This record gives sequence, structure tokens and C-alpha cells, in this order.
Amino acid sequence: MAAPRASTDNSAGAKREPRGIGWLLLTPLLGWLGLFVVLPTAILFVYSFCQRDELGQVVFSFTWSNYARIFDPIYLGIFGRSLWYAGLTTALCLAIGYPVAYFIGRSPPSRRSTLLLLVMIPFWISFLLRTYAWISLLKGEGLISSLLQAMRLLTGPLDILYTPTAVIIGLVYTYLPFMILPIFTSAEKLDNSMIEAALDLGATPVRAFTQVILPLTKPGIFAGVLLVFVPSIGMFAVTDLMGGARVPMIGNVIQNQFGQARDWPFGAALGITFLALFAITFWFLHDRGEVRR
Amino acid sequence: MKKRLSSLFAIGLALGAALDLSAAKKEVNLFGWSEYVPQDVLDKFEEETGIKVNYETYASNEEMLSKLLGGAAEFDLVQPSEYVVEALVKAGKLEEIDFANVPNIGNISPAYMHRPHDPEQKYSVPYMVGAISIVVNTERVKEPVTGFRDVFSGKYAGRIVSLNDNRELLTWALQTLGRDFNAITPENIAAARPLLEKWLPQVKAFDSDSPKTKLLNGDVDIGIVWPGEAAILYREDKKFACLLPVEGSHVTIDSLVIPKGAPHKAEAEAFISFILRPEISVLISRAFPYTNPNREACKLLTPEELANPASFPKGVETLPTFKAIGKAAAQVDKLITDLKSGS
Repeated sequence: MAAPRASTDNSAGAKREPRGIGWLLLTPLLGWLGLFVVLPTAILFVYSFCQRDELGQVVFSFTWSNYARIFDPIYLGIFGRSLWYAGLTTALCLAIGYPVAYFIGRSPPSRRSTLLLLVMIPFWISFLLRTYAWISLLKGEGLISSLLQAMRLLTGPLDILYTPTAVIIGLVYTYLPFMILPIFTSAEKLDNSMIEAALDLGATPVRAFTQVILPLTKPGIFAGVLLVFVPSIGMFAVTDLMGGARVPMIGNVIQNQFGQARDWPFGAALGITFLALFAITFWFLHDRGEVRR
Repeated sequence: MKKRLSSLFAIGLALGAALDLSAAKKEVNLFGWSEYVPQDVLDKFEEETGIKVNYETYASNEEMLSKLLGGAAEFDLVQPSEYVVEALVKAGKLEEIDFANVPNIGNISPAYMHRPHDPEQKYSVPYMVGAISIVVNTERVKEPVTGFRDVFSGKYAGRIVSLNDNRELLTWALQTLGRDFNAITPENIAAARPLLEKWLPQVKAFDSDSPKTKLLNGDVDIGIVWPGEAAILYREDKKFACLLPVEGSHVTIDSLVIPKGAPHKAEAEAFISFILRPEISVLISRAFPYTNPNREACKLLTPEELANPASFPKGVETLPTFKAIGKAAAQVDKLITDLKSGS
């Protein structure tokens, strides 16, 4: 593919191995990774082959049954729905977030920080508080419902709280900034002369977008999609609060195993399967991305 | 010089030990349900005995078990429900309570003593009890509602809030079918399935944390909620009628127990004895209006408080209790997860 791209990474300097002091500087990071990523994952991996006793404690006797249970149609169905919800959330975030990110990235630097701040401000408030705010916005006797009824756009009360629609709204709202920020970073670095060149050479605006702007902001899109898709698939708080805990997602199933059901080994097996799937998908996408370059 | 140093060291050690002992005497670690032990009761206990209460909370029996069995913290008093008491007794995780230090145990109504989870009443003391209540907003629902069949008749679809508790959901179905709700057998699960299949889609929201909010806001008109929440709704507004389902109920006996190896056992027993006092127990009742098993404390309640149909429903003392179901919990979880996904 002949997509123009900035020649910033030169392969000569990219492959240098850390040495001496370099390793020393890396120690905190490696220690952190080992302690908080590798170790817990290893524990989960071991648990996933264990069993539970009457009290729900983990018993170290080997079994495949936790993994076998994942292939029960119940859990496969829930997994499928979680993929669908997360996919829809990602698509909506991209559709809403891309223009916003592009606009911010292309606006004069003086205004950029203000606009970015507006994207970030919701982060200063607790996630739970924001979710409860959405509940009072969306509920039957809430603000949006009353407004729509006053404008005579709606005859009865709005009935979307505790439905899948509410869940999607909640998910899109929660993860939208994770889409905007990486795309913004790509859009900000976009070289104006590239677009001008495309237009000068007779490209229509649509063609300039699809063949120049889009490929140049692809790293941002890729990062944004990953940052939205992965966490939204495992989300359980939004489904509980805004979905009324009516339709479970895979995150709720896992949470249940560590809570009510007290079946840690099964929860661990679900978690490990999840992790493996993401690793494979990421590796696949990343690999293809590399090849294309 | 050397000798002096070492004797100093010894004195230091002894001092340290003494300090440690006095510190050990002066506290008790209570691990209890959130919204269940009023702060003024803790303050009064500390004021009178000089024993500091470290109160940590949990939101479900299962969360409590994770922390208790994880062994990360040392607790002196825990507040499990009866079926968890049963499992803990069976697993040998509880200390026997020395009832010589709890002379006022007689204040507890015999109806809540010697139940199957602790037949000899050696390990537990009832704290508060209660039976899950159906709450009806009588301003919005004009027809009489008497039980689960009425709630889930189809007329109120989308106007119901229910506890988000898998075992409770299954229990309600089994009670409606006249089956033993403690028998989590394949036959019972198969029998309950079609009923729950009809019921669950009618629920607008499942909420175990604060279902009363949805009733107060008018989001829903009928709720199946914790007795304490129902009692508060009734106390706030008499339009909320509370009743036990005609199909049957069970009573939950939340109890105080002392985990094996608790470092402050005597202090824990002092605390149990303290809250068994009628004038203290009545404070708990006022703050959290569950059914008070303390007969002497009930005598101090006003007629109005005693008439609250969620706090003191008729016949609550003779209701059966949950038994520990152990690994069968996985079957219950699977059933409800499946039905919720299908809806």
C-alpha cells in the first residue's frame, strides 16, 4: 500500500537493546509488571484448573471441567452478546469520536488544550456518580423524558432505562474519551501539506479523506478501537446499574463467580480464556498492521 | 555496659509485651454487614468498656467468606446469615461461645434458638432476623396482591423491582410450586425453570443494594425486597403495603459468631452481651427496622413500631430457614444466568 507516512521511525535506532544503566532504569517497571501483572495472571491460571469445596474455597486438585463448562451454549451465547455490545459500542465511539478528535486536532493550538480539557473533565468525577447521573437523566420521570414530553415529541414516559439501549448509551459515554484521545494524537501530527498536496493533485475531499487522512490517522484509530473494545466487553457495572442487571454480559458472569456463586476456579477459567482471546486477536491485528506497512 | 544494654533491652521487651497486652485487651474487630450496626451502639460500648470496636463492613455473605477464609485479616466477630453459620460450623471455622460471659442470652426469643444451623446453640447468637417482603405501592396498584403468583401474573410486567440474588429467585419459584427450597436437585431446578422463565422478563430491574430507591422514585410499583428496606418504606409512607407471600417465606437469621482463633474472644463475648441488653438492642431496631429477636427489646418498642408489617410480619418466628447448599450454588447460578440471557 502506497499510503504516505511520516518517516519518523528509522529502523537503525529502533532495535537497540538496553544495557547496564538501561536495565537499572527498567527495574521498577519490570518489577511492577511482574508483581501486578504476571503474578496475578499466573495465580489465575493455576486456579482455573482447581476445584471449589463446600465453602467455596479453592481446592488444589486438577480438573479440566472449568474449561469444559465455558463451552456450554449458555456462556458462549453470553460471550457472543458481549462481543456484539462491545462491537457496537466501539463503532459508535468511532463514529462520534473521530470527527471530534479530528476537529480538536486541527484547531489552533491555543484552543486545543481547552477543548481537550472539556473531554477530560468528566474523568474528574467518580465513574459511579456519572452513571447515577445518567440514571436520573434517563429514567421514566427523569429530565430527558420530561423534556421530550413537554416538547410533545413523546406521549408517554421515556422507557429506555434498564434496557439494552441504556447499556449501550452507558458504554459509549464511558469509553468515548478513550477513542477521542488517541485519534486526536494522530490528527494533531497530521501534516497539512499532505492534504493540500492531495487536493492540488485533483483529489476530491472524500478521496483525500479516505486515501490520505484516514491512513495517516490509522495508528490512532487502532489504539482507540483497542482501548474501547477490550474494556467494554468485560464491563459489568454499567450492565448492573443502567441495565438493571437484567441481561448479563460476560463481565457479570465472571464477577458472579467471584461473588455470589463463589466459584473462583470457573471465574478464573473465564478470565484466562478471555485473556488468551485478546492476546490472539491483538497479535493477529498487530501482525497484519506491521505487514501492511 | 554490655550487661546494662541487655537488661535495658529486656525491660524494653517486657514493656513492649505489656503494652501489647493492654492494646490487645482494648479492642475488638467486628466484621459486619454494611448498614446494620448503628454507630451510637459502637460508641456506647467503647465508652462503657473502653474496648475499641474496629468495624469493617461487607455487602454479601459471599464477600465476607472470601475475606474471612482468605485469612488476610483477623476478625473477632462476624455476622453471617444462618446458612453460612451452618457451613462455617461444619468446616470447624468457629469458636464455641462461652455463654457464662453472655448471661443475657435468655433475652432472645426461643423461636430463633436451636435452629438447624446451630442445633445446640454453641456457636452463634441471633443478631437481627427477617423475612423478605413484597412491597406494593397501593396508589398505583389497586388490585390486591397476596404473593408471587399475583406479582408475576403479567399485569405488572416492567413495574417490578426484585433482589438480584440467584438463590432467592429460585427459592421463590420452588415455594410457589410447593417444593422444598433447600433441595437444589436437578428435578427441582427443572421444575422451577418454566416458572422463572415467565417471571424474570417481567422484572424491570434487579437490585440488591437499594431496591427501595426505585420504589420511592416511582420507577416501579411492586418490589420484592429486604425486610429492613420494606420497613423503612412503610415507615416513610403508608402507601407502601408490605406482606409476606402466601406461597411461603423463609426467615434469615443473621447471627454473631466468633471465628476460630479470634485474638479478642473475651471482648467479642462482652460485645455480644452488650448488644443483647434490651436498651441497646432497641437502638439497633430503630436504626435498622428488621425483626428483632430480642423479646425484652421488643417490649421497649412503640406499638407503632411493632405494627410495622415488614419488621414484624405475622408468623415470622415459625418460618423455616436456608440450609447450606455448598457446590449446588453453581447450578443455581447457571440456571439464573441462562434465564436472564434468554430474556
